[in-house]
Amino acid sequence: MEVEVDEKELKAAGAELLSDGRHGLRIHGWEIETRKRSILNSSTHELWEKKLETCHMPEMIFGESCLVLKHVKSGTKIHFNAFDALIGWKKEALPPVEVPAAAQWKFRCKPSEQVILDYDYTFTTPYCGSETITLDADKHGGERSNETCNLHWEDCKEKIDVVALASKEPILFYDEVVLYEDELADNGVSLLTVKVRVMPSGWFLLLRFWLRVDGVLMRLRDTRMHCAFGNNVNPIILRESCWREATFQALAAKGYPSEAAAYNDPSIISQRLPVVMNKTQKLKVPSNM
Amino acid sequence: MSDLDRQIEQLKKCEPLKESEVKALCLKAMEILVEESNVQRVDAPVTICGDIHGQFYDMKELFKVGGDCPKTNYLFLGDFVDRGFYSVETFLLLLALKVRYPDRIHSLEGNHESRQITQVYGFYDECLRKYGSVNVWRYCTDIFDYLSLSALIENKIFSVHGGLSPAISTLDQIRTIDRKQEVPHDGAMCDLLWSDPEDIVDGWGLSPRGAGFLFGGSVVSSFNHANNIDYICRGPPVGDGRLPSLSWTKNLNKQFRVFDAAPQESRGTPAKKPAPDYFL
Repeated sequence: MEVEVDEKELKAAGAELLSDGRHGLRIHGWEIETRKRSILNSSTHELWEKKLETCHMPEMIFGESCLVLKHVKSGTKIHFNAFDALIGWKKEALPPVEVPAAAQWKFRCKPSEQVILDYDYTFTTPYCGSETITLDADKHGGERSNETCNLHWEDCKEKIDVVALASKEPILFYDEVVLYEDELADNGVSLLTVKVRVMPSGWFLLLRFWLRVDGVLMRLRDTRMHCAFGNNVNPIILRESCWREATFQALAAKGYPSEAAAYNDPSIISQRLPVVMNKTQKLKVPSNM
Repeated sequence: MSDLDRQIEQLKKCEPLKESEVKALCLKAMEILVEESNVQRVDAPVTICGDIHGQFYDMKELFKVGGDCPKTNYLFLGDFVDRGFYSVETFLLLLALKVRYPDRIHSLEGNHESRQITQVYGFYDECLRKYGSVNVWRYCTDIFDYLSLSALIENKIFSVHGGLSPAISTLDQIRTIDRKQEVPHDGAMCDLLWSDPEDIVDGWGLSPRGAGFLFGGSVVSSFNHANNIDYICRGPPVGDGRLPSLSWTKNLNKQFRVFDAAPQESRGTPAKKPAPDYFL
């Protein structure tokens, strides 16, 4: 963290920074850590292509980077990584988005034999995080996936308390991790990031998939998670997923600018994009497994 | 020391030129570039370098590793501007070197050397920020129109920013293109700057975007055969904070070298770290 966190503030909140060069902190029974590494090297890249059964992946995959939030006592681990996000992309397999030049290209003289590739080059993913329960390695040896461990997100009516989150209490830990990024061969941007902030009252994170296909459409898929620290030994995590999408054409019709340069920062223009999906779920962290 | 040498020294320190100097430099460069063929002939030995994208300090690292111009002969494959912080200084240094040593440095046009693309990806904004007007952007984009489309090293290695086009089977067809225009949205010139190689197709492929050709192995073999060339060389991908450069010796042996991007301390600006914010 580049901002020196006041030792006193950490202490007052009952938090301690992780040691051994790890980046993160322990607070209220949680261990929150980020790892930021370079993009995949070519051998790992090939391995991923095999595992994902594809030969098209984002240009920049930060495959070893992640955000991990671990509830130490229960072994519940919420984490965010590029690989699981790309599994989601493969599964959703949206049809490709045509760029504006495609209209002209339809009338172009083309080679008599050509292969038309039709994978989703935007790498749009429904990913909203991964969960595992890590059992005490000494006793049980290894991890079990959430299916077998009964980690259950249930739909709920509660909303993340945005007002409380807007209060300027000290930020004890903050980080932003890029999971993957692609420039769509100069036709826009596809970017998956997760950022986290930890305050004395709880932790909050935002996983964001941001897509802009210049001249065509924008897609924003946000997942927010909030966990308030309390006396409860079984913390509750709220998860809100909000997907937004708009075409440049629809925005222009509403009188908004239609050039791509006006849409560099999704947080500024998100309100302009209509919501296409919104749901809130909660997870009661189990007491012991 | 001549004005030009002084300007080169200044640009090497990553200090931009005055607007009037940029205008004069561009005029001189235009006189040289207008004479160049669409298939620029280049002698070996030569060192080839791909997309710089305004990463001035990585380009300086290249000159450090590969040797200064004019001692080393250079061929740049386009995409000098956009994305990085120093597109102005990067492009002007290459241009000043071109005017000073016209036979020792060659720069091809990339798909970012375009009025339309630079308005989206940063160069336009950078000019506006550094000069308070878009005049420098105008001078530079006018020069972009004059950059050559491809190069032919010792008649054996064909170099281009993007790749091949189904509309082109011979080098002579490239020579007849009128390049002095904004990069078009389709046609042969567009393809040379935008096409990509693709492993999984053998012949021609169409990008899932609905525009942009992909070319496979058999396309390359027949182009090479028809034009009696050995290799096609295009902008290489980057990865892992390392940059590739490719040198061809006098006997056309290739030496592929990957060097580390410039260390953060030497970049003039602090690393971009996330500032804590109360995001919602």
